[in-house]
Amino acid sequence: MKLFHDVLQQMRALLPEQPALSAAYRSDLCAESGDKNAILFRSDTAYELGGSGKPGVSSVLFGEIDASQDEVLVYGKDLCELTQDTAFAHLTIVQLKEHSEEDLRYEQLKEIGFRLFQLYPEGYHIRVSPSAGREQVRVAKSALQGAFPLSFINIGCSLIRLLREHEDVARVQTVFITGENVDYAALAALARKAKSITEAVQHTLQFGELDCASCKMKPICDEVEGLRELHMKKEKEKQNHGA
Amino acid sequence: MRTVTFAFTGKGGVGKTSLSAALIRLLSERYPDKRILAVDADPAIGLATALDMKPPMTLDDVRLRIAASIDKGETADAIDLLSEAKFHLLDCIAERSNLSFLAIGRPEAAGCYCKVNAYLKQVLETISGNFDYVVIDGEAGIEQINRRVMENITYLVLVSDGSRKGIQVVSAIHHVAVNLVKWEKAGVIFNRIRSGFDPPATQEIPPVLAVIGDDDAQAQNDMQGQSVFSLPDDAPVLRGAAQALDALLQENGS
Repeated sequence: MKLFHDVLQQMRALLPEQPALSAAYRSDLCAESGDKNAILFRSDTAYELGGSGKPGVSSVLFGEIDASQDEVLVYGKDLCELTQDTAFAHLTIVQLKEHSEEDLRYEQLKEIGFRLFQLYPEGYHIRVSPSAGREQVRVAKSALQGAFPLSFINIGCSLIRLLREHEDVARVQTVFITGENVDYAALAALARKAKSITEAVQHTLQFGELDCASCKMKPICDEVEGLRELHMKKEKEKQNHGA
Repeated sequence: MRTVTFAFTGKGGVGKTSLSAALIRLLSERYPDKRILAVDADPAIGLATALDMKPPMTLDDVRLRIAASIDKGETADAIDLLSEAKFHLLDCIAERSNLSFLAIGRPEAAGCYCKVNAYLKQVLETISGNFDYVVIDGEAGIEQINRRVMENITYLVLVSDGSRKGIQVVSAIHHVAVNLVKWEKAGVIFNRIRSGFDPPATQEIPPVLAVIGDDDAQAQNDMQGQSVFSLPDDAPVLRGAAQALDALLQENGS
């Protein structure tokens, strides 16, 4: 989807040239699933990603992925290398199948977005605030012990599996960022913009409103190339369908 | 894991919060390897002081925050709102060793507490499984019984003083609870009792678990704003709570 192209480019420009770690999706690398109602207590937590008031940026974008396979990228330290609460960002880029982009539906974007809330890896307690675009994760002490400590690669593969189960998803790239050498404020601003684009697309697809003057999505529609075209296309389809 | 739930209720001002806190202290000391959740379901919010635990947010804060975002016209789906509520849930839980504490908060708006009670019920259903013991310090009267906030509990503990009114309230709550609440065992603790009191022999109230006299140590503790953990081991409220706990656990082997 071209709508997110600029935001995605700007986000990538904020990251180092090469990830510290990368892996193509493999089902055997997926993390073990936990109980969706389980609480990870402070006393059992090694540290919290985005904890102690540090940044915790979360963003889902729909766009083109410049890779031939589903993959997990890690910028900064992996889970077993961290020892204390740290700044964190988690970006998920979803590429839709071509026919799906042309026949975009409101439910489709929602269904794909909701899958992010259905990830419950054992020893990795995720909490997401959609309104604040914030993600915080408690990582269990027990998950970091043993011969195979939990890695972002395991979490990323689990997320990819969950998203790829959706029939309209062609490819997924999930990016984990830790450490202090990233401009999280800029990432958060871009995440908010990505959210505005998603909301404008959903608004267009759901309501097909044509009175731009009174629509609260107008500023983002004016700014992002392609949103207005999508709007007009959907309106035309509606009129043709009515005729 | 089986979660054992104690729910305290009764007339206002009979010492429910002090007894809930005493039971929580006993459980946390007797079973250091077990997880205990203390729930302040009373808008009077006394349990936080009694335990000296204060979470950054109450359930009502979360409910209001979500309601405000809807009032502002922010578009959000039910799943977004659920995720939002789940995000803040951990901010509502204070933790100290094996003890966790959650408070309903004090709704600022006048009127009924239905919405926050409904939210509390949902939260308890979701998170109780993480704990070995849950102790709910309920609000006075039958509202939370009526609203089925305490729908499935292990032990219903009714608290009364020696007054006729206190006993009538306990009898009324018991009567309503028989139809609306599932429990394994119920009992009454008579608290702040002066000499010469005979517990009423009536089938209108469940068996007596303990009779506790005036407790100077507890009164002193309250005046100084000290927690239940500052009380001497032999304080009457602790001895009474221990007697009630033993009586409840005796047959069930919980």
